[in-house]
Amino acid sequence: MERHILGYKCRGCGRVWYPNRGVCQDCRGIEFEPVPLPKNGKLLTFTHLHNLAADFEVPSLWLGIVELSNGNRITGQLRIDSPKIGMKVVGKVEPVRQVGYQTHHGMIFYKA
Amino acid sequence: MRDVYVIGIGITSFSRLEYPLVEIAAYPAIMAMKDCGLTKVDHLFVANMGASRLNHQTALASAVVDHLSLCPAGAECIENGPASGASAIKAGYMAIASGLHDTVMVIGAERLREANNLEATDFVASLTHPLAEQIYGVTLPSMAGMFTRLYMEKYGVTSRHLAMVAIKNHDNAMFNKFAHLHEPISFEGILDSEDALTNNPMVADPLRFYDMCPVSDGGACLILASAEVAKKVKRPLIRLAGVGQATDTHCVHERKEPTDLLAVRGAAAQAFKMAGVKPSEVSVAELHDAFTILEIAESEEVGFFKKGQGHIALAEGYTGLKGKLPINPSGGLKAKGHPVGATGVGQAHEIVTQLRGEAGERQVKNAKIGFTTNFGGFGNNVVALTFIKEK
Ligand SMILES: [Zn+2]
Repeated sequence: MERHILGYKCRGCGRVWYPNRGVCQDCRGIEFEPVPLPKNGKLLTFTHLHNLAADFEVPSLWLGIVELSNGNRITGQLRIDSPKIGMKVVGKVEPVRQVGYQTHHGMIFYKA
Repeated sequence: MRDVYVIGIGITSFSRLEYPLVEIAAYPAIMAMKDCGLTKVDHLFVANMGASRLNHQTALASAVVDHLSLCPAGAECIENGPASGASAIKAGYMAIASGLHDTVMVIGAERLREANNLEATDFVASLTHPLAEQIYGVTLPSMAGMFTRLYMEKYGVTSRHLAMVAIKNHDNAMFNKFAHLHEPISFEGILDSEDALTNNPMVADPLRFYDMCPVSDGGACLILASAEVAKKVKRPLIRLAGVGQATDTHCVHERKEPTDLLAVRGAAAQAFKMAGVKPSEVSVAELHDAFTILEIAESEEVGFFKKGQGHIALAEGYTGLKGKLPINPSGGLKAKGHPVGATGVGQAHEIVTQLRGEAGERQVKNAKIGFTTNFGGFGNNVVALTFIKEK
């Protein structure tokens, strides 16, 4: 089954939030329903990080912020050779970090 | 509300300190008591971020108050990430302004280097969003890197401007015996020479090693008092005239304009308004330059320069020690050091030293109004303070 990152749609005003929050910023609503976030978007900014926490086995990571096609923004890892601001990207939900026995899944972006 | 004064100050070296956290907290407190002649206070606030995780110590304030033989004075810890220090000063302000107490000791203390550098960076990264940021390996340097790239694209800031911040603050720290780094640096060494990439490697592209503050241990202390107490103490009268604080989204990606630091803007506006002071009247400022880009961005957000103009003022020497508005005469976080929970108290220590005219070779001439910005998270919780020297 294809994995998704979930956004949280306010039942009061319909705005989708990511990550979840207890109270809607726009209408103060407190009820939300999970909705899958789209996976394609545009790269807003990025960095190549060389000092990682000890649990990472790779020497460096590309990290970025992406604006998804529905307008939500998300932080994720990038697997792109030479990323450029504004480029089109597409995400996959894959393992991003292993902490002890726990595998965290998150969004990894590739060139669209 | 009652007026609040800073009557005593003390500080340790910001570096690697090989003594227990309680003593890192106690030493500057003893210096501050000596400074003002007080031997008792009504209350203690102890700012710290990492004791429970890095030093296996909780309830630090209870240990510190007894170590200083100040029981039964009240004491508590304030943890607000890297803005803990200024938050504790704010708590002290509220306690005195409200009339609850007449004297409050505000201590900031941190012992980060009990952990190694990677553990310390990972510890600070624990302030990011657990599911939307931390799981990806996001650290504070990586946020600063992403922020810098946008700033460069939008405002024309270059690596050279960033290096100017580092060089200036390393130069200033040469005159500060408490600073972590006593190491002058040059464009040649960190940017232009063939060895520059070896001397100054990329850490979070486009930020390099010398764009980052060091990981420091350190402690600092202010003793705050009511006007009645302050006027009996034979020290220059420095009033804590403005206190501001504002917050922003936990996730950086949720900010509408990712190059804005709205919490800095909001906190500064409050601290200026409360003091009845305009940004253009400030004589000296300590801004939270954990990364070189932050000194530039904050100098704009607090109102010293228009948005996008901070790097130009910097390049013109406006913010140098001999400039019109010296920023980070202490060396800043960049070179004085960044013992996270203690940093905000350290910034205030520098401003009080400057306003008293006791800063020696780094003294800013005719310093009358001082300002600090202590930046928590990646700008999601910011405390700003305005200090005025009174006749
Ligand atoms: Zn809503």
